Amino acid sequence: MRVSKATKIVTYLLCVVLSFYFLFPFIWMILTAVKSEGEIFTYPPKFFPDTWRFHNFIDAWNAQPFGRFTWNSVLVTVWTTAGQVVSASLAAYGFARYQFRGKKFLFSILLATMMLPWDVTMIPQYMEFNLLGWIDTLKPLIIPALFGSAYYIYLMRQFLESMPNDFAESAKIDGANEFQIYSRIYMPMMKPCIILVCVLNMITVWNDYLGPLVFTNTQSKYTLAVGLAAFKGVHSTDIIPIMCISILMCIPPVVAFFIEQKNIIEGISGGVKG
Amino acid sequence: MNKNLKKVLAVILIAVIALSLVACGSNGKTSKGKTKIRFATWDDAETLEFQQKMVDKFNAQSDTIEVIIESYGDNYDTKITASMGSKDAPDVMYMWNYPKYAEGLLPLDDLIKSEGTDYKANFYEALWNYNSINGVILGIPVGYTTHVVYYNKDLFDQTGIAYPSADWTWEDLRNAAEKLSNPAEKVYGIAFPIQPDPYDYEMFAWSNGGAYVDAQGNAAGVLDSDKTAAPFQFFQDMLKAGIAIGTDDYGSESFSTGKVGMFMNGAWSIDKLQKAGLNFGVQVLPRFDKSIPSASILSSSGVAISKTTANKEAAWEFVKFWTSEELNKERIGYELPVLKSVAGSEKLTSHEIYSKFYAMLDQSSQYMPASFISKDWSNLSDKINLALEKILNSDSFTNAQEALREAAK
Amino acid sequence: MKAKRKMNSRFAPYLFILPYFIGVLLFTAGPLVMSFIMSFFDWPVIGDPVFTGMGNYIELFTKDSQFYDSMAITFKFSAIFVPLTIVLSLALALLISRQLKGISLFRVVFYLPTVVSSVSISIIWGWILNKEYGILNYMLSLLGVSGPDWLNSRKWALVALIIVSGWTVGTMMLVFYTALKGISTEIYEAARIDGSGEFRTFFQITLPLISPTMQFNIVTSFISALQNLSLVMLLTKGGPMKSTYMYGLFVYNNAFQKSRLGYASASAWVMFVIILLLTSLIFKSSDRWVFNQVTSKEERR
Repeated sequence: MRVSKATKIVTYLLCVVLSFYFLFPFIWMILTAVKSEGEIFTYPPKFFPDTWRFHNFIDAWNAQPFGRFTWNSVLVTVWTTAGQVVSASLAAYGFARYQFRGKKFLFSILLATMMLPWDVTMIPQYMEFNLLGWIDTLKPLIIPALFGSAYYIYLMRQFLESMPNDFAESAKIDGANEFQIYSRIYMPMMKPCIILVCVLNMITVWNDYLGPLVFTNTQSKYTLAVGLAAFKGVHSTDIIPIMCISILMCIPPVVAFFIEQKNIIEGISGGVKG
Repeated sequence: MNKNLKKVLAVILIAVIALSLVACGSNGKTSKGKTKIRFATWDDAETLEFQQKMVDKFNAQSDTIEVIIESYGDNYDTKITASMGSKDAPDVMYMWNYPKYAEGLLPLDDLIKSEGTDYKANFYEALWNYNSINGVILGIPVGYTTHVVYYNKDLFDQTGIAYPSADWTWEDLRNAAEKLSNPAEKVYGIAFPIQPDPYDYEMFAWSNGGAYVDAQGNAAGVLDSDKTAAPFQFFQDMLKAGIAIGTDDYGSESFSTGKVGMFMNGAWSIDKLQKAGLNFGVQVLPRFDKSIPSASILSSSGVAISKTTANKEAAWEFVKFWTSEELNKERIGYELPVLKSVAGSEKLTSHEIYSKFYAMLDQSSQYMPASFISKDWSNLSDKINLALEKILNSDSFTNAQEALREAAK
Repeated sequence: MKAKRKMNSRFAPYLFILPYFIGVLLFTAGPLVMSFIMSFFDWPVIGDPVFTGMGNYIELFTKDSQFYDSMAITFKFSAIFVPLTIVLSLALALLISRQLKGISLFRVVFYLPTVVSSVSISIIWGWILNKEYGILNYMLSLLGVSGPDWLNSRKWALVALIIVSGWTVGTMMLVFYTALKGISTEIYEAARIDGSGEFRTFFQITLPLISPTMQFNIVTSFISALQNLSLVMLLTKGGPMKSTYMYGLFVYNNAFQKSRLGYASASAWVMFVIILLLTSLIFKSSDRWVFNQVTSKEERR
């Protein structure tokens, strides 16, 4: 698509202005992370530290077993993402491509599961996991997600609904069964959306701390987010390590985003040709 | 390129799944026939590192008990509520909010008695009040802090005024604050929270002969009395005069800029301010009446045992270790010792900074916070919270007595 | 052969959605029903629950003024927040989907805040927004403007919350972006050949084609706005003077500060019903504006 010069300029201008809003607090985070304790709160604000203390990152990392936490976070993220992709895409496909009895009702239930705040279901949930003997393991964080979440099912359903029906009909004539139509025709076409789900799930799981906090007890089961929150005590907050670990925690989701960008574009050009 | 990426991802995925299965399989075999005690703490990571070291020490000493530390930071209440609500509370817990959790905690009087009379007498008496409910002891004191005034020595020197004295009054503080302030330079005399936890602010009423509730827990006639309202009106007047600023925290962040002359807090700030390189001193809280010493609320921490624990003896064994002289000594720098013998032997009562906290402790022993007396503290504190905000927020600046009268209803 | 296929497709949809509903039965249904039961009890965290019938609901509606206040604040917040973030995220998605040099850099910039954990978001923004010593007011003062007390003024606290929550709009932007990228370039080419201008193309082609995604973003951002909790808890704690005491915090404090699990459950169920009604309204209305390939085709038949 060709773009006129005027729109080009407007686009860049808008991007730069908005970048300030989105980037500035993040830059401030990085600058805080490399400051000394005496330089965080100054007035007039001190933008750059006297010496850049990159060692703060190493100190923060060594303050708790963050290697272990990273492993736990990776475990939870990989498992849940795999589960979401499979189960959520199945359900989304079921809801999007078929008319069946009870569809509206079942879809309402699906939506309803998003509507009750977590604080009131948490204690019953804790009781259930306790009964199953899953407290202080990573199971409560992984296993429920393997069945798919309403949020992602709804998202994928919306994508599927905006896809043309013609493919399915021609495939049916070719003798493909229902599951083959899903797996061979729609899954590849859904690739951008599936990658989107992967990225969104990764951000959510990676940063979720209430779940791991409540369902795990011992430090060896903590995820990164819980370790991060542990820098915030009841009476005092270790601001520099919080900033250091938050920044380190941003790296994997950003890498995932780069992969996503590449694939969205590839996936779409592939989909159109197919 | 894309194919390669896919392969790499697939390999990572398989590796993670395979390894996690191995990891799951090796679970639960860490104990060697020892009784496991779950121990929940709320402190930040720095303190946690120290606590882990101490727990390791205990585990190395004990042949029969293994303590596992669980740290929940400032989400402690959420976690404890969830686990107690599901009848799965940790065996030993750090505790300060006894009124809230009283029913889930084991009474310790008998266990204390079995340790002999000297055991209990070695703790500062005031602390037992903060670790019991209706005379039943539910926790053993671990640490405490009273609140004091921190002042910026450099600012005082620059302005040419004397440092606060032990018998100074709020009038003196206001005069100092006036001299220190220079709004054009963003320099202010004092900073204090304007959305405070009501628990922390009752001490100002005490210092003026007031309180939130009477001995029976009634707020009417007490909370809205002149004596209770006057200090908060005084605070409002300082804000109005532009010599004080309101903060969201205790004031230590603003104080760290070096632009604020004074703020009030417990011992929590010492370490942070020293690291930040501030030249500061501390002094006991000012008096309202020259003849009545000021009082401070105690922010105390204790360790309590869950009522539902299956290993009462083992838990008590660990609690004793955790509150022993040895540990009180080890904890200096993190917590103020609660044992008279340790405070004496370590010369803390004559220490330049720490002595002020002990002085405040002596001055405050006869007071009891409303949270321990009121039958419906959670609702009352909600109302007082709103009243204090109305008094101290420049959006409203409601007359103190009027706001408190509303809350006392 | 033909009969078999029919059988197949009659059961197929149920088989597709089966895994999800097994999960619901195992992990969601129990706690959901349990919390509903709890709402009819006086259920303390510690100690025995006492059945009170409709007691909690009666107290909510007749005795608790905070219930109405929190409800009002929450709706006010949502009414500003939802349209604002929808427009912002769509605008951002449109910006980053242009094929211009260097645009991928901005994609990362707009996305970056969503991966920052909320603990650090609240710390950083808390200090940026500090009245006396914050950077925002410092910069405003350089321009000769005296900035407000963002977090402690009744007028500005909600604005501050919106500014901070808007910072993580990147998730919604990403959803829109993926939908935009799904539109085949051929359609745009055809529109261009027809002589359709940028605005017309956007309203007549782009918008209808992404309308299912639009519906998704509206519904989910609405739900999350009505349940907003963590940011309020970390940033303003409901203040100043309860002006940001949103419904999520009201429920949370009843459960975890006041240990009234039954009452908290009742209030959560009231909000549940409200969200349910509002969502179904959105769904009803979307028959008119959501362009659906499947149903539109069936209608044509």
